[in-house]
Formats: sequence, structure tokens, C-alpha cells
Amino acid sequence: MTNILDDYALISPLRHINNWLKLAIVFFGLLAGVSSTSPITPLFIALCMSLATVALGRAPLKFYLKLLLAPAGFAFTGVIIIAFFSGSGQELMSFELAGYPLVIRADGLELALLVLSRSLGGMCCLYFLALTTPMIELFAVLKASRLPESLIELSMLIYRYIFVFLDMALSIKYAQTVRLGYSNFKRSINSLGMLASTLFIRSWEQGDKLFLSMNSRCYDGKMTLFEVHRPVKSTELLLTSVYFLLTLALFYFTKNISIV
Amino acid sequence: MIILETRSLKYTYPDGTAAVQDLNIEIKKGKKVAFVGQNGSGKSTLFLLLNGTLKPAEGEVLFHGVPFKYDSKSLREIRKSIGIVFQNSDDQIFAPTVYQDVAFGPANLGYSKERVDACVHQALEQVGLYRLKDKPPHHLSGGQKKRVAIAGIMAMEPEVIILDEPLSNLDPVGADEIIDLLNEFNQLGSTIIISTHDVDLAYRWSDYVYIMSNSKLIGQGTPAEVFKEQELLKKAGLRQPTTLEIYHEIERRGLARGKNSPKTVPELVSTLKPLDLMWVDVPPGVREGDNLNLGVMYGVYATQSPYEAINATVLHIHSGGRAIVELKRKGIKAGGVLLYDTDKYSLDEVRQIIKEGEIVFVGAMGKKSKTLAEQDGIRLDVTSGVIDKSILMALCGKRCLILTAGGMIDHALKRTREYVDKSGIEFTVGVVNREGGCKWLEEMDTNPETFKV
Repeated sequence: MTNILDDYALISPLRHINNWLKLAIVFFGLLAGVSSTSPITPLFIALCMSLATVALGRAPLKFYLKLLLAPAGFAFTGVIIIAFFSGSGQELMSFELAGYPLVIRADGLELALLVLSRSLGGMCCLYFLALTTPMIELFAVLKASRLPESLIELSMLIYRYIFVFLDMALSIKYAQTVRLGYSNFKRSINSLGMLASTLFIRSWEQGDKLFLSMNSRCYDGKMTLFEVHRPVKSTELLLTSVYFLLTLALFYFTKNISIV
Repeated sequence: MIILETRSLKYTYPDGTAAVQDLNIEIKKGKKVAFVGQNGSGKSTLFLLLNGTLKPAEGEVLFHGVPFKYDSKSLREIRKSIGIVFQNSDDQIFAPTVYQDVAFGPANLGYSKERVDACVHQALEQVGLYRLKDKPPHHLSGGQKKRVAIAGIMAMEPEVIILDEPLSNLDPVGADEIIDLLNEFNQLGSTIIISTHDVDLAYRWSDYVYIMSNSKLIGQGTPAEVFKEQELLKKAGLRQPTTLEIYHEIERRGLARGKNSPKTVPELVSTLKPLDLMWVDVPPGVREGDNLNLGVMYGVYATQSPYEAINATVLHIHSGGRAIVELKRKGIKAGGVLLYDTDKYSLDEVRQIIKEGEIVFVGAMGKKSKTLAEQDGIRLDVTSGVIDKSILMALCGKRCLILTAGGMIDHALKRTREYVDKSGIEFTVGVVNREGGCKWLEEMDTNPETFKV
């Protein structure tokens, strides 16, 4: 079995919460985070979203941190560069590296912290969505957002067959590996090419078989999507409003604060 | 009544090789039919012809005596009535969730949302997968995928269900569950057609068998007729079913009654004719060939039931009043097979039945009953091949309870009664929690004449 984000979302207890509520929370978080002028609000959002994902959504903490590490690493390197190369005003720290002076200024640090907190907040919001809402729940959302029917049907079929072909690709790769198909670079390239071409042909054939099997169940060119009705519970609504109000209050009161 | 029929059917692939040649079959309503043949003998192509996916080059297919028409409206009707389950479940299950996939067929039939929901609910309950309805298919096991595929067809309520190699790639328990399901659907009135190269399955399960080889039909008949013909099997590249092979070997050695074709292990057992000899002391005046009543025996002397009334035929008289007799046993406190309908389930009742009925062997058929038993901690002695094993236990004087539901009850009842009728060995059979209930066979009171053994 492959280990992907979608699998965690499928077993998450938050899966059964109304999709629109979750989307609203995420978009609110993104907007509030990006428009905030102090790093405190985005950090608060990051904290809340992480708590929701790990405590309420039962995502394993270790896995969650590992997941966060990858983009956080990128953000961090970017932030260091911003801290050193931008801003004016009070000099906080300076040293020389191989004859070249490096200075951190108050403004630069402020900006760096803001960028870091915003990106963290945004990532946590998106991970909240990714780890609590499996793809199969999003099809209803896609449908409601008036995307063309055929696009949604295609995406449903693609979603299903990603896993079929993933399994196929893995077993072909395994079969190649046990016969030393990846023992050196040249062979690896060769094997990978064979894998890709086989997959292409198989997917072509699969399409034929799919059409056959759909036809034998009276396919008339339309797939109906059955939505599950999920009313928003009062506790969920209450919790969300408290979160929204707290964030807005924080947003308002930290408007002009500088922490450096 | 003939439900599906072909007349000199012929189909040729675009490259010119014939896939099906001159095929005449008549399938009767409510039967379990198996097409047996090697890989590539034309079974799958025939199935695609039978539900109108492929159009024959020559000949015709008739449903209820009316030839297929190949316009889209008629095809829709045909495909609603004749469902096909493909060999590879991944070819068939394409929707992102189990529910959506099963709902695909009914939705295409233009049912209202409520009716679709009812159909899906019923179909998924029948295959025992309702609690997995929101799962994506790639989280299911092979057996579960097969059951989803079957539910997808069942939800359209077809009259005929065609399954291409239904048991390939399944583990024994999974395969057994599929067979139980098929039997249940058949009991509820569906005609079931399968293709297989598993001769044991075709022999044991089906009512009628067609043997195919090299795109032609080379033999047909009841399983007992077809699998007797060694030449035919050789020509088709098949072998004899295992039970039949064992039976022939035993019969040839004079240890079984001849001219039978046992399909299951209990049937095989009932054909055995062991010589049951014993030394006894006889009163003077008894001659060879006389019949003696040895009375009721129990313990080590009763081999088939707890108590047995035994008659003996004297074969040889030895000096000193000793004789060799052949024993004929009749079980007194016989075993039995009780069925319990889990649609009307109550744990206390089951516990009471097990306790008061001195039941020593409990089995469950069908996913639902198995799950129930698991939940409530009822120890199951057997979960696959339940009917056969229960009959074997009943023959040894044990009392068995089978937990099952729906159409599987009548199937199990029929099978067990048939066995009792055929073998002449009597034991209790019945459904406990149905009207009238079920009583154990009365224990006989005979006055044993005592003989010294």
C-alpha cells in the first residue's frame, strides 16, 4: 500500500465535517495570515490549525512535523537571506564573512519574521485541508463550483485509476528490480523507459476495458455524483466563530506592533 | 423456461481468428450454469456476446425467446436484465468511492435519488460491505473489491448475472463467501452463469455445465454426466474433479457403492461401504445367515452416533459358540443440523439454543452472520464450507448450529434435506427460530436383548 496524504485524510475524524466549513476556515486563515502586518496573527493561525489537524484530525504528530519540515526548510533559507539583505534602520548584529560585511537590521528582521510566519500560517492551513479532506469529498465541492461536468467526471476517473496505475507501476518496477534492471545508470534509464511505455499501453487498454464495463452497466455518457449531506453542527459552528473572532481581535490589536 | 438462448452463434475477431463458432446453448431460468474450458477457449467473448456488448457475425442471441436488437434502447433493456461481472475487479470499479460505484448502474437507469439509495443500500447489505461505503476502492482487499463489483451489478436487479472467473485471485475464505453469495442470489431467483477452469468448482456448484474448447462447444450436461466422460475432459484440456477421482479409486477397490457421483465430501462419505465385523458369543442353534438383534450399544461400540441399535448378520460360526457377524447400525440419538435465522437475531436466544440443545459445533454463513457472531463473542468452529462440515459432524452424532440469513437459509436447508433423502441417514434438520421451530428426532426406546460381546 502506498502511503500518501489522502490516506491520512480518509481515516481522519474531521473527514465527516461539512466541506464548506473546512474550506471557509482555510480561506479565512490564508487571507488573515497574508494581510496581517505583524507576525503574531499568522503564528496564531499556524498554531490553531496545527492543533486542529493533530488533536482533532488525529494526524500523527511525528508525521505532521516531518511534513512541515520540508516547506519550512525552504522558507527558513529564504528568510535568512531576507534578514541579511534588506531593510534599513538600527543595526542589530553584524559580522564579517571572508572579508564581506553582513548586517542584520531591525527592519530586515521584522520583514523576515513576517514572511516566515505568513508562510508557516499558510502551510498549516493547507495541511489542515489536505490531512482532513480526502479527494473524494472534494468532488462535490468541484461540482458545486460549477466546473464543467466532464471535467469532474474525468477527475473522478483519474483519481480512481491513479491508484490502479500506481500499483501497476510499482509491481513493474519490482519485477525490473529483481532482474537487476536498476543496477547501473544506463540500465536504469532503459528500464524506466520500458516502464513508462508499458504503463502507457496498459492505460490505453484499461480505457478500453473501462468503457466496456461502463457500457455493460447502461452508461449513457453521464456519471451522477451523489453528495453526502453533512449539516454543520452547532458546536462546530461555535468553535469556528470563536476561532474567527480571536483571530480578528488579534489581527486588530497587533496591527501596529513591532516586535523587534 | 428458457431465459437465454443462442442459435448458431459465430464471432470473429477483426484479425480473422474465430473466437466463437457455431454455438447453440439454452439456459434455463433459475439455474446455476458453468462454462468450463481452458484459457482462451472463447468463454469471455461469449459472455460479451450474451450481454450485447459484441455483435455476432452470424446467428443470434435470444432473451426470453426474443432476438437481441442492437439499437441503444434495446441494448439498455438487455444490459439491465443481464449483468456481467468482469474477471478483474479493477476494470469494473471506477468510481472514487464504493457507494458511488454501486450507485452508477441504478443512476443510469434513471431512478430517483431515493430509489438509487435504496438499491445501493440493499446491494451493499447483501454483500456485507455497507460499513465500507465511503471507502475508496484502493483501500479494499481483493475479495472485497469482487463483492463491490457484484453489488454494482446486483443493484440493477438483473434477471441473469454473468460472472467471468469469479474466484480467480481470491483466498479460500473469500472464494467461499462469493460462492455463498451466488447461491443466495440463485435462491432468490436469479439465473447465474459463470466461467471457470476450476473443474472442482464447476462440478460441485453448478446445475448444468458447458464444456468449451478452441472456440467451440464440445460437451454439455449435468455435472455428473459431463465429468464422467474422460475423453471429453481430455479433449478440453481439463481433468476430473478431485472428489470424483477419489470416489472412482475407492469404488474400484470395492470400498464404495457403485454408480454414484458424489460432489461433496459428505456425499463421498455416504457412498462408502465399510465392512463392520465383530466377534460375538451366540446361543446354540443360531446358523450362518441368521439375523440377530444385538440391542443398543453406546460408548466405544457406537461409532456413528452416541447410541446405536445394532442388528447383525451371522457370517461364520466358530467352535465354542463364537461367531463372526456383520453389523448394521442405526443411530438412535442422532445428530442434527439446525439453522438459525440471524435476521431475527437475539444473543440470549442463540446462547440458550447452544446450551439446551447440547450443540457442540457452530458455524456461520454470510458476512453479516459472521460479523454478528464476532461482535457477540460466539465461538465459531467453522466459517467456510459450513454446510458440508456440519453434515459431516451430524453424521458423527454431533449437533450443529448454523447462523445464517436471507436466501442462504433455504439454500442450506435444501442442501441438507437433499443429503438426508439421498443417503437415507436420518438426522434432525430445520430452522430453529422460524414458525413451528424444530424438534430433535425422538430418542427411540428399544428393549435390548443382551448378548455378550
